[in-house]
Amino acid sequence: MGTTASQLGKDLLSEYQELTFLTKQEILLAHKRFAELLTKDEKDLPNTRLPMERILTLPELKSNPFRRRICLVFSTSQHKDGSLTFEDFLDLLSAFSDSATMEIKSHYAFRIFDFDDDGTLDYGDLERLVNCLTGETDDTRLTDEEMRQLISNILEESDIDKDGTVNLSEFQHVISRSPDFVSSFKIVL
Amino acid sequence: MTSYRNGGFFNAAYHDSETLEIDRSKTHHTNPYAGGERPDEHYSTGQTGGDAAVGRVPGWREESWRESIPMGLISTHSESPSWHHDLNHSTFQIPPDSQRDQSPHVRLSSKASGHMTMRWRGITMRRMSMFPNGDPANVAFTEDAIRNEMETEEQDLVKELVALSTRDRIRAIRDLPMSFDEKKHIRSHVLAFKSSKQSRQFTCFADCTETVSLSFRRCGSSMSSARQTLELWQGVMKEIGGKFGTSVLIYFVFLKWLLMFNIFSFLVNFGFITIPLLVYDPSPNIPPNVSFSGLEILSGAGYFHYTVMYYGGYSNETLHGLMEYNMQLAYFFTTAVYMVLCGIALIFSMASSFKKNYVLADPTSNSAWQLLCSWDFSITNERAVRQRKNNLRVQLKESLSEKAQRELLTLTEELKHFGVYLGSWLLSTGLAIGCGASIYYLCQYQQQLLPADAADWSLLQEAETLLVPFVVSLVNLVVPLFYSLFNKFERYSSQRRQIYALVVRNVFLKISILAVLCYYWMNVVAKKFSCWESVVGEALYRLVIVDFLFLMLGSFFGEFLSNVIGTRLLPRLGVPEFDVARNVLELIYAQTLAWIGIYFSPLLPAIQILKFFLLFYVKKVSLVQNCQPPRRSGRAAQMQTIFIALLFFPFFVGALSMFAYTAWSLTPSEQCGPFRGLNNAFSVVGVWIDDLEEIPGSQWAVWIYENVIRSEIFYFFISLIIIVIIFIFWQVTQGRKQLIGLLRQRIVNEGKDKSFLLDKLQNLQKSQPDKKSKQKNQKKHSKRRPDDHSSSGQSNSNAMVQALLARQQLEQEDERCSSDGVPVPSDISTSSALMQAMLARQRADDQDEDKHSSSSSAFTQAVQARQRAEGRERDEHYSTGFSESPINTSSAFTQAMQARQRAEEDGADDAHDLPSSVSSVMMQVVQARERAEKEDRPPWAPAPPQNSAPAGSSALIQAMLARQQAQNEYDDGY
Repeated sequence: MGTTASQLGKDLLSEYQELTFLTKQEILLAHKRFAELLTKDEKDLPNTRLPMERILTLPELKSNPFRRRICLVFSTSQHKDGSLTFEDFLDLLSAFSDSATMEIKSHYAFRIFDFDDDGTLDYGDLERLVNCLTGETDDTRLTDEEMRQLISNILEESDIDKDGTVNLSEFQHVISRSPDFVSSFKIVL
Repeated sequence: MTSYRNGGFFNAAYHDSETLEIDRSKTHHTNPYAGGERPDEHYSTGQTGGDAAVGRVPGWREESWRESIPMGLISTHSESPSWHHDLNHSTFQIPPDSQRDQSPHVRLSSKASGHMTMRWRGITMRRMSMFPNGDPANVAFTEDAIRNEMETEEQDLVKELVALSTRDRIRAIRDLPMSFDEKKHIRSHVLAFKSSKQSRQFTCFADCTETVSLSFRRCGSSMSSARQTLELWQGVMKEIGGKFGTSVLIYFVFLKWLLMFNIFSFLVNFGFITIPLLVYDPSPNIPPNVSFSGLEILSGAGYFHYTVMYYGGYSNETLHGLMEYNMQLAYFFTTAVYMVLCGIALIFSMASSFKKNYVLADPTSNSAWQLLCSWDFSITNERAVRQRKNNLRVQLKESLSEKAQRELLTLTEELKHFGVYLGSWLLSTGLAIGCGASIYYLCQYQQQLLPADAADWSLLQEAETLLVPFVVSLVNLVVPLFYSLFNKFERYSSQRRQIYALVVRNVFLKISILAVLCYYWMNVVAKKFSCWESVVGEALYRLVIVDFLFLMLGSFFGEFLSNVIGTRLLPRLGVPEFDVARNVLELIYAQTLAWIGIYFSPLLPAIQILKFFLLFYVKKVSLVQNCQPPRRSGRAAQMQTIFIALLFFPFFVGALSMFAYTAWSLTPSEQCGPFRGLNNAFSVVGVWIDDLEEIPGSQWAVWIYENVIRSEIFYFFISLIIIVIIFIFWQVTQGRKQLIGLLRQRIVNEGKDKSFLLDKLQNLQKSQPDKKSKQKNQKKHSKRRPDDHSSSGQSNSNAMVQALLARQQLEQEDERCSSDGVPVPSDISTSSALMQAMLARQRADDQDEDKHSSSSSAFTQAVQARQRAEGRERDEHYSTGFSESPINTSSAFTQAMQARQRAEEDGADDAHDLPSSVSSVMMQVVQARERAEKEDRPPWAPAPPQNSAPAGSSALIQAMLARQQAQNEYDDGY
């Protein structure tokens, strides 16, 4: 994988273009930004994995409340440590790009929100989601009573089959009704 | 896995259910677990790229794997040759039997080594939840089955993709929700498949089309990259989005979009009207007594009056250069075509925006999900993130209290609200009408002072003309502030309605002002002034310029001053927010002026470009310096749609009709402009057609003009057809709406059915006699504690297993009937499954009873044998040594298999003899288990307990499976 300084083969580039929603410029920019995060030795190695901590120094991700989840979801590492290869990184940018379809976006959003990776958004996931969005500290969190009320509202609204959790298709149904999602689920380098 | 053993006993099965899929027919709908897990461990262990095939099956449908699993358990390992080719791991090449014999210890280590993909693990986890007492040996079967399934699914997908055209295929692959590696793999497969296919049926034509489409695609992608390079203000946009979020960003996006309109308009006008004239006659036709005084820049009159800035500066001649160039036609068609193109662009962007943002949207807004889903991932500023979190918390709390407080209004309160609404609407409407009327009288008053010929205007008179635009802009600045004030008194239930009310009032104000001005120009100016088009053009120029100055002032007063007040003087007001709605309406108003002016002043877009360009920076600086991010996350996407719709509907349509009226009905001025001497501007076309008649070979154009453009019948038919089409589409939409309602109802019903059946099963289990249930509970726990085994424990767990199996079967039934596409969940099949479950339970309980009363059946013997074995195992609890017992367990397995075979035969023979055959099958199974346990005994002695307990339960599982098979057979016979 040509992660060496800003050179991407023509074939590779066209393959990237074909398989992601990114344009040539965006891929080149992504490559440049990715290469900047690499150390000198790593630049010579093909297919380097960047550890999550270094990925999260990108200003685009630095203050995102879901930054860790994003890395974990897009990481193909077998250690589940959230480290990204360049292709994982492209995958991330592709899903967050302007031209990605709603289906792709909602799929990844679901996985980002599914904190325990069990395939459904249950009470615990929703609680963590709300906490992520309102802030984790004690004075910013919702009270337990509010949280319970809120989550029961959420479930009432979206849990069509009444099993107490929100599955992917239910989630996508919700997403399809909130048009702001597509425009806000976006990270641009 | 453990979490489901305890709490998710019934829920786990429930989660598996897929009757709730909203769109079953969609082929690339993925299983959440499938996508949720990463199959890429393959790569990391250094395998070749080929074997990555195994893990990735994007388009598998859950119902298919669910159904196929019981089959997969007994079916041979693999039928496709590519399967073996792909799988060159040592662990997976083991024949199924020996694989089953492996102890869980080994299985776990193989998992850890990364050979088993995470996806399978995810699924097997699900399957395991069906067998809460099951051991990991079972995992092996399900894994195989699932892998098989995935393999065929992948092949299906590849076939599907091959059938598509290149363009569609690229899009389809891109749309798969998989990781990059998976997509790459699918793509390579598809390409390989395709090339192997193509080499056979190669034709020149196909080759040509392929090349052409390839070059088109290359061209398209390079175009889009070029566009990206030219993208204006990308960095600034990103900064604004990062700090203020999407809702503020739409103002700037809108501004940029309008700027593009103006650049296009300028290029067209300049290229087709101005350049030919300047090439032909470069020096403007200016009287000697007029000189540039500087006031022109503001007033647009004086010196500018004679330049190509306005209509009056253009000639009506046919220019003779290299070729003949008819100025009249060029002027008319350029403006007309530009207006039409603008209209088409607006309609398209409006329609796509409606489709994307409005049609699907839920009218019941402000729900919690909408808040959660609208988190702006583009925000990068730390402070903005914190602020946004706070705002979101407040909004969430509000939405909670709102829900609680709803419907608490009394009648008097409602009347009071209604009164306030009525009052403020009346007041705002009156204000708008009053403003319009006063502007009209001001214009009237002013035109009486001005001489009819613009050449006679003195400098002072020229300066006085600035009064009207000044007043108009002042009204535009001040009255909206009043409207916002009204808004504070009215209490709208939702913020959206509040914004809509504000927008509607502002739109009404702007329309009334523009309508009055247009009326004045058409009816007063057109009759009084010589060269009146230029006078109107100058008036529009002044409006554009003064409006720009007021926009600057507006951002100074509106944002800078309120920032100062908010931070220094009255801290409780706080830092102001950027009012997107008001600012966008200002833009819309400015653009409408430019559109109206396109006929009167062809180069007005140049001024407009400059204005928008400067405005962008002014607003950006003002925003960053003075404003805070919006407290409420407005529905940005919907607002954008509304703005585009507003731009189109009253404003653009108004400008277009103004243009049409001018061209068709008003007499152009006699002394100046391209249309001098004509009755109206449109008659240019008639003259041109008359000329064309003399040229041979252009008869068709004349015919079209006579029979299409000028015939009422044509327009009548066209409108008729359009109305019919609209009606048909409307009917289709109505039908779809009904269908959606029905489908939704079906989803709800199936969910209810499912929970009802599960409840029933659960109740059935609970409703056993107390004594037994007590025992059962005890046993359920004892199962997990290997030191507490007893014979009844075994038998009870056996009963439970049977119930579970029955339940699984029931679920399969359920699955089958729904996947068959039966519109209503078939009560018969589900209830039969339920019957099975109950029967199984009953039988299990009977066994229980037998054991208690006579304790002479083979079953009890088996149980006793088992007990003995386990007793011994307990004795050896702390003995060391790691030796697995593949042979023995495998022989136990074969026993079970034989038993099953026999059971199958029995089932086939006595398909109608229900009780006897089933019980005989039961007996077979029990015997098999007994034998299995006897076999197991010797090696257990030296084996450590970790291995033995699961191995024993593995035998149990075998028995269970055999039973299930028997039941399946029985079902078929039935």
